[in-house]
Amino acid sequence: MKGIEVIFALKNLIDENDVIVSSNGNISREVFHTLPRPQVYLRGSMGLPVPVGLGLAQANPDKRIIVITGDGNFLMGLGSIVTSAFYKPKNLKILILDNAQYYTTGGQQTVSSAINYSEFLESFKIGFSRSKKASPDLIEEDLTEFLNYDAFSALHLTIQASKENLANIPWHPEEIAEKIIARLTK
Amino acid sequence: MIDPEAFVKFIDENYQFICGVPCSYFKEMLIYLETYESKNELDHFLATREDEAIALASGVALSGKPALVYMQNSGLGNIGDALTSLAQLYKLPMLILVSYRGLEPDKDFPEHSVMGDVTESLLEAMKIPYSELTVDNWEVDMKNAMKKTVEASSPVVLLVRLGVLNQ
Repeated sequence: MKGIEVIFALKNLIDENDVIVSSNGNISREVFHTLPRPQVYLRGSMGLPVPVGLGLAQANPDKRIIVITGDGNFLMGLGSIVTSAFYKPKNLKILILDNAQYYTTGGQQTVSSAINYSEFLESFKIGFSRSKKASPDLIEEDLTEFLNYDAFSALHLTIQASKENLANIPWHPEEIAEKIIARLTK
Repeated sequence: MIDPEAFVKFIDENYQFICGVPCSYFKEMLIYLETYESKNELDHFLATREDEAIALASGVALSGKPALVYMQNSGLGNIGDALTSLAQLYKLPMLILVSYRGLEPDKDFPEHSVMGDVTESLLEAMKIPYSELTVDNWEVDMKNAMKKTVEASSPVVLLVRLGVLNQ
């Protein structure tokens, strides 16, 4: 499966109680063009979507925070899965889409394949952790279980490297922040 | 030294979230914070890196809530992208207490000397408003800096010298 297909599969599984944090580059663009708006579209902040999600989870205990990050981004801020597992807020869900490449910058290889994600995520004892290849037949079931598990959850999916020709996010980050703050303070 | 009890109470009255990476300059404040029983649900998060702390505070700020961060000035070297492509770019208010290492009292700690020399020029180059936290006037310093975070809708730094939040 392509990353955008996994993101599209979230469409029927989320509602206004969910806040998505998308990592910079393709993933933010795919989330912007595929899912309800506004969400927290990161533009830079490489390595930081997980702690942004953790901060949102702390400040919004009644919302479900879903972080969608690529493997390169996840690796750059690898310590943050440890911090998240220490506090393990049950309203935080981390979805890692792994194409083993920095695809936004041209498909350069990442070192992600050095990790056995099943064992790595399992070692945190966080309730729900799983690593598998994304498949069209099972994606809805996998995402549903991941999202609805009543504990901090992490799902690692290997995906096919692909880039859609999507327009850049037209909102300036200041506008993104204004819309999210308005959504979370109403 | 600022009375750590009064300082932590002030934090509790004004914030529900504090996070950071420790420095010995914050020792007494952090000891007090560790055992403090919050009256207002103050959460204290321990970060693995300073840029993670800025990102945690950004998640809180994106929720429309005030956020407080603490770090050593060595951490300024780690937060360049977290500031410029997140907290400053999205105009997120947050107060950052930064210990001012590398001045005269740290003359036997060469690991702090280069950052000590460039701390203020680095903050100026990054367009981060900053001032100092003083023992005699700390409450006014805190209130002014907090006001500035909202007015500028930006991260604001308060530099903390030796003996201000530690003995």
